[in-house]
Amino acid sequence: MHVRRATIALIVFFALTISLFSLVAPRFATTSNMENLMGGFSFIAILAMGEAFPILTRGIDLSIGAIVALVGMVVFDLSLIFHVPGYVILAVALAVGALAGALNGLLIVGLRLQPFIATLATLATYRGVVYAISGRQLVPGLTTTPIADPWITGLETYFDIGGALGTDDFLPLPWFPLSFFVMLAMLAVLSVFLLRTKVGRDIYAVGGNAEAARLAGINTGRIILLAYALSGLCAAVAALLLVARLTTATEALGFGMELSAIAAAVIGGVSLSGGVGSVFGPALGAFLLGAVLLGLTLLGISQYVQQIITGLILLAAVGYDRFLLIRRQRRLAANVA
Amino acid sequence: MTPRLSGTGLSKIYGNLLALRDADIRVMPGEVRALIGSNGAGKSTLVKVLTGAITPTSGTVEIDGERAPLGDTREMIRRGVACIYQHANLAPSMSVLDNIFLGRQPTRRLGFVDTKRQRREAEELLQRHAIELDLDAAVGDLPTVKQKEVEIMKALALDARVILMDEPTGWLASSEVAKLHNTIQALKARGLGIIYISHVLDEIFAVCDTLTIMRDGAVIAESAVAETDRPRVVQLMVGERLARESAQAALQKRHPRGTGETRLSARNLSKKGVFEDITLDLYAGEILCITGLIGSKRTELVRTLFGSDRFDAGTLEVDGHAVSFAAPRGAIAKGIGFVPEDRHRDGLMLDMTVTENLAMATLDSYRRGVLLNRSKIAGAGEKAIKSLSIQPPEGARPVKLLSGGNQQKVLVGKWLSRAPRILILDEPTVGVDVGAKAEIYRILRHEREIGAAVLIVSSDIEEVMTIADRIAVMVSGRIVAVHDADAVSRDEIIREIGGALQ
Repeated sequence: MHVRRATIALIVFFALTISLFSLVAPRFATTSNMENLMGGFSFIAILAMGEAFPILTRGIDLSIGAIVALVGMVVFDLSLIFHVPGYVILAVALAVGALAGALNGLLIVGLRLQPFIATLATLATYRGVVYAISGRQLVPGLTTTPIADPWITGLETYFDIGGALGTDDFLPLPWFPLSFFVMLAMLAVLSVFLLRTKVGRDIYAVGGNAEAARLAGINTGRIILLAYALSGLCAAVAALLLVARLTTATEALGFGMELSAIAAAVIGGVSLSGGVGSVFGPALGAFLLGAVLLGLTLLGISQYVQQIITGLILLAAVGYDRFLLIRRQRRLAANVA
Repeated sequence: MTPRLSGTGLSKIYGNLLALRDADIRVMPGEVRALIGSNGAGKSTLVKVLTGAITPTSGTVEIDGERAPLGDTREMIRRGVACIYQHANLAPSMSVLDNIFLGRQPTRRLGFVDTKRQRREAEELLQRHAIELDLDAAVGDLPTVKQKEVEIMKALALDARVILMDEPTGWLASSEVAKLHNTIQALKARGLGIIYISHVLDEIFAVCDTLTIMRDGAVIAESAVAETDRPRVVQLMVGERLARESAQAALQKRHPRGTGETRLSARNLSKKGVFEDITLDLYAGEILCITGLIGSKRTELVRTLFGSDRFDAGTLEVDGHAVSFAAPRGAIAKGIGFVPEDRHRDGLMLDMTVTENLAMATLDSYRRGVLLNRSKIAGAGEKAIKSLSIQPPEGARPVKLLSGGNQQKVLVGKWLSRAPRILILDEPTVGVDVGAKAEIYRILRHEREIGAAVLIVSSDIEEVMTIADRIAVMVSGRIVAVHDADAVSRDEIIREIGGALQ
C-alpha cells in the first residue's frame, strides 16, 4: 500500500509538536500527561474518523455533537429510569447513533438538501429532542445519581501495560485507557473497510466525481446514506465513552465537538472537496489538536486564547486544503493546453 | 443476425424542447457505426439514452435481441454497454487501477476487493491492447491523453459488447488517434459493436463501416460509408434548408471591418494554460465570429474580454484606451454587453418577469432619486418586447415560461437598451428553434447597422457563414486564422478548425 506524502508530513509534524512541547512546557512529557492526551482525545479521534466519511463524499456532518448528546441522554434514561441491562443499552445506543446519522443521509439524498443545511437543521432538532427526553427534567431526583451499570462504567478502565510487562523500572509507560484501544480497533476496522472493500472504494468514487460514479453504476444515494450513518455510529461510540467517563449525561454533552472533529479531519488531510483522505489522518489530527491544547494549558495559556488558537488552526488547515485544490486544478488546466 | 444494440423510436422531451425525435439506431456485431450531426442535433441525448443516463420519453432499446430496461445505468453496464464520454468521467484523486474498476471491483467474501485479481486483470488487459499505464498513478496527475486511455481501458475491462465513443479523439495527437483506431479494429474483429461519434470526417472515413446522420433531434439518413462521400455527408448534416439559407446569406452585403473605427483591440493577450498570444481587432459596424471546436477556449477568451476573468500578459484596448477590467462592472461602463453561453445558469433570472430581466442591466437609468420609476421600466419593457417581437408579448410573464428562442431574445434585449458599443455573444442560438434564430440574426444585423461592434462565439459553421462579416478560427487556445467572410469557403474553415486534430 503506498503511503501518501501528506500522511508522512502529518506524522513528522506530530512528532515535532510533541518534541517542542516536551522542551518548553513543564510536565508535558510525563506519563500522566500522556494519559490525559489518550483519555481526553480518543473520543475526539473517533468522532473525527466518523466525520471523515461525510467529508469524503463531499459533504459535512455538523450534527455529531448533538448526536453525542442524544445518545448520552438515551443511555441516561435507559439506565437510571428504566433500569435496562447495560449490554442492551450499548446496542440501543449504537443503533440510535446510526439511525440519527442515517436520517441526515436520508434528508440529503431524498430531499436533495445541502449537507451543511440538512445537518445544521438536525443539529438543532436533535438538541431539542435531548431536552424533551432528558431524564434530568423528567425525574429531577436522578440529577445527582451516577450511572453505575458495569457494562457502561467498565468502558472507563485503565491498563497498566508497563507494570504487566515489567518495563516500569527502565521505561515508565502511561496507563492506557480502554477508550484508546477502542479507538485503535475502530481505526483498524474502518481503514480496512475504506481501503479494501468495494463499498469503501465507492465512497472515494462518489466524492471524487459523483457523475462518473453514477455512470459507473454505483448507487450514489446508498453510499451517501451509509457515510452519514457511519458518522452517527462513531458519534454513538464517542458518547458511550464520554458517559462512562462522567458516569452521567447532561443536555450540553458534546457541545461544539463537531468543530474539533472537522478540524481534526481536515488537519488529517481529508479534503473538503471530497474523494481524498483516510481515517488514520483524522485520528492523528485529533491527537495533534489535543497535544497542542494540553501543551498550551501546561504553559498557562487561558481557555479563551486556546479557542482562538483552535479556530486559527482550523482556518489554516482549510486554507491549505483550498490551496491544494486550486493547484490541482491549475495543473489539470495546464495539462489540457 | 441479431443486432448487438438496437434502439427504436426513441424520443426525449425537455420542457418544451424536443431533444430527440423518434430516433432509430442499430449496430451489428463487428460493425463500427458513425453517428454524426452538428451541435444540438441530438447525438449526446441519444448516447445518454443508450447508456441509461437519462430515461427517454418513449421508445425501446434491445441488446442482443433482449429488451433492456431504460434509464438504469447499472443494468446497461451489466448487459455490456460501455461508453467513453466526451468529457473525462474519472475520479481524479483515485489511482488508475481504481478508476478502471470504478463501481464494479471484483470482490471476495464480505465485500472485500480482490486486489490481486483486479491488478492481474488490469495488467493482462494493458498487455493485450499494448497500452502503457502506471496503474498506481493518480489519474488527476496524468496528461489528458493518458486520461483518455484510462477511459478506454475502463470500457475494455467491462468486457463490453457495445462501446459508445463520444468524440473520443478530442485532444489526442495524430499518432494516438491512429493507435485508438487500431484498438477499434481489434475490438471489431472480436465481434463488438461500436458507435463512434465525431466531428472529424477524416476519422469517420478511416474507421467506420456505416453512418447515421442526425439533425434537429431526428435521424435523417443512414448509409454505408463506402456508398457515400464527403460532400454528400456534409450536405445531409447541414440540410437543404440551411444550404439554401446560407446561399441567400451570401447575397447579403458583408461589412468586413465595418466603419473602419477600431472598438476593441487585443494584442498578444495570454492567460497561462488557457489561451495564448491572441491578437484581434474588432471594428464598429461589423460582426466578427470566433469559431472552433468545443474546448478551444473561445468562451474563456470572451469572458476575459468582458472582465469576468483576468489575463496574464498582453494588452487590451477599448476605443484606443488600454484597459484591464477587474470585474464585468468595468467592462459594462465602457459600453460592453455580454450574452453568456448558458443562459439558464449565467444569464437570466428565470423566476423574474420579462420586464424585470430586460431592465436588469440598465436599472440605473430608471432611477428617480433612490427609488426606481416602475412605470418607466414597464414602458421601456413594452417597447423592447415589441422591437424584439418576444412571444407572447407579456412583460409580466416569468421568463422561465418562455421558449428557448424567446428567452434568448430577452437576454440580448437586456443589453440593447443600453445601446452597447460592443456586444459579445457566446453561442447565441444553441437550443433555439429556426424561426427565433432568424429573428436573433435580424436583431444582431440591426445592431451592426446602427454602429455597434458585434463579437459572436459560435460552433455552428452554418451560423458563422450566415452572419459573419469576418471569421476568426480558434484552435487550442490560439487564433490560427482571420478571414473576410466573403473570401473564404465553408470547407476551408472546417479544415482549419479540425487542423490540430489531423
